[in-house]
Amino acid sequence: MATKKKAKSTRKPVKTRPVKTRPAKKRTAKKSAAKTTSRPARRGPRSAAQRVSVLLVMLPWIMQRQRVKISTMARQFNLTEAELIEDLQMAAVCGVPPYTPDALIDVYMDNGMVIAEVPLVFSRPLKLSTAELFAVSVMAQTAMQLPGANKKGPLASALTKLAPLMPSGAETIKVQLPKARYVKELLTASSSGERQEIEYFSPATQKRTMRTITARKVFEDAGRWYVAADDHLSGEDRVFRVDRIEQLSGTEIFDQLREVRDDELPWFSESLQQVTLRVQKSARWIVESYPYVSRVDNADGSVDLTMSVTSSHWLGRLLLRAGKGVKVLKPAQYKNLATETARSVLSRYSASNSASNSTSNSAS
Amino acid sequence: MAVKVSQAERMMNLLALLVDRAKPLTLRQVRQELGKQYPDSDEAARAAFERDKAALREMGIPIETKTLGGDAAGEVTYWVNRSNYELSDLRLTEEERTALQLAVATVHLGAQHGEEALWKLGGERILRKASMSVNIGLVDQNMSMITDAVMKRRTLNFEYKGEQRQVDPYGMLSRSGFWYIIGFDHLRRDQRVFRVDRIEGEVIAGEARAFKTPENFDVAGAVPTEKQMLAAGDGEVTTAVVLVDAALAAGVRREFGESSVIKDRDDGSVEFSIPCANLDAFRLWLFAMVESAEVLEPQTVREQIVQWLEELSAGK
Repeated sequence: MATKKKAKSTRKPVKTRPVKTRPAKKRTAKKSAAKTTSRPARRGPRSAAQRVSVLLVMLPWIMQRQRVKISTMARQFNLTEAELIEDLQMAAVCGVPPYTPDALIDVYMDNGMVIAEVPLVFSRPLKLSTAELFAVSVMAQTAMQLPGANKKGPLASALTKLAPLMPSGAETIKVQLPKARYVKELLTASSSGERQEIEYFSPATQKRTMRTITARKVFEDAGRWYVAADDHLSGEDRVFRVDRIEQLSGTEIFDQLREVRDDELPWFSESLQQVTLRVQKSARWIVESYPYVSRVDNADGSVDLTMSVTSSHWLGRLLLRAGKGVKVLKPAQYKNLATETARSVLSRYSASNSASNSTSNSAS
Repeated sequence: MAVKVSQAERMMNLLALLVDRAKPLTLRQVRQELGKQYPDSDEAARAAFERDKAALREMGIPIETKTLGGDAAGEVTYWVNRSNYELSDLRLTEEERTALQLAVATVHLGAQHGEEALWKLGGERILRKASMSVNIGLVDQNMSMITDAVMKRRTLNFEYKGEQRQVDPYGMLSRSGFWYIIGFDHLRRDQRVFRVDRIEGEVIAGEARAFKTPENFDVAGAVPTEKQMLAAGDGEVTTAVVLVDAALAAGVRREFGESSVIKDRDDGSVEFSIPCANLDAFRLWLFAMVESAEVLEPQTVREQIVQWLEELSAGK
């Protein structure tokens, strides 16, 4: 992402990506949870229904495997080891009166392993729910659109086997992924570690920069492709918009491979400023289109929205588009940003007016 | 005294019992068989049993019922037929299962249904992070109701733009970070597009198989693209000439196609012909480029843009 400071006008230094609040939140949640367990924090005790529905999934699953490490199984099902052991111990005493051994769930834990023999009644998995069928269908058809997908491969044949289970409406559910050049190349680069030279355009600075990056992860979010990469120009981890990469070529320099977790994505390299906007009904698309930190609904139908802003250029553009539908409540430094942005666009129109006037004058 | 067992344990035993016994059981028989796992009082036992039954049904286990006649008139019997809830063996190969696992690891829905499906299919959640991911958010509060309605052809009722709508959802489309419902709007007596996140309040769904989707229904074609949105208005002027600076011209060219190009100027900027019948949508599109784009013609559109800018810069 571009960091070059903008020389002209009164604007602040800029970065280009619109705000994402989610990753920052996730990171704090993970950290606090990591102290006690390996899974994300979850609130409150589990209900009886939750415990039973997980058991009904786990029992056939372990039946197929017979022996699984407790730690592996707990991670797989998003449980703490204590929760898993508690559930399995409960399952071990469940069965049918008069509770002869063949009707009991035979499960024991030994040396960090779960060993289970499950009676017939609990040995087959439940049918897929409509929500699960929907999820599988959406995920599979999305995966099928990804670069390098084989339309006649195992995923396609798995879908064919699942097809008889799908309700008829599944046929008219479609996912359209955005198209961007270089997604495939970046994906290859992220698995080979080959540095790429890119020409990257930043609308905030109106400049193209040449930089070398090592792609780590390619991802799509809200209709756009991004690449998380080591940026050798700035020496930082950055997220680039793939549709702003104008040129790309391999360098034949290879870096060691490295995994980037979703919650580690470097959306920002500096702390962000927060602004509070009063959004009228006419500009409601702002509420719908951008992540926000907090929201207060006012009695008159307007909404006070606090959002993180990566650059004044980005905010100015938002204010220009929303026009009278939005007002900056704070901080004070941005209160005149809408008028300033409007004036700077207006100056372009007056400049071309006078240019065309002088042309016609000279012609006459 | 009832013996102390957790509700979870009692539910497991109830399920095992209803599956195992050859004959349907009355609640009285269930209580006898389960030996005091239910409370002693009839009323409390009935309430607890109803709770268990509802929770099991919620999980997809159909508990069948039949009201008896004759001597036992009015008494209800219960049973579960395993074949009604068990997944038949799909005979997935290892390769197919791995492909599904990869798809689930790559495509994020913000809901766990994909993982649950994998476990039921004998697969595993891949815990290592994929080098590619796609976010198809399903986080809306109404999403499960809506997807279920689309899958099973149920009519939906919801409020949209201040009006109560009744919609037969023909299909759904995920595009540019939004989910759309395309369906027959009973209020307008016509096919309409609704954005899921713009639905106000709760969604109510009717019976399954309530309607038929028209033949050759094209989901993607039913939702207008940005280009079509700009053209879908009642403004008198339908196209405008827009000059876009070199830096942004390539993007506009990709979006609107080569046929929209009027002239490539020497400095790299490009004159485009852009639909503008929907002037509000056009202005939003234009101002996304801030000072890097300018309407050249027609004069009326240019004047309207200038007037909008003047009002904003005057702080009115």
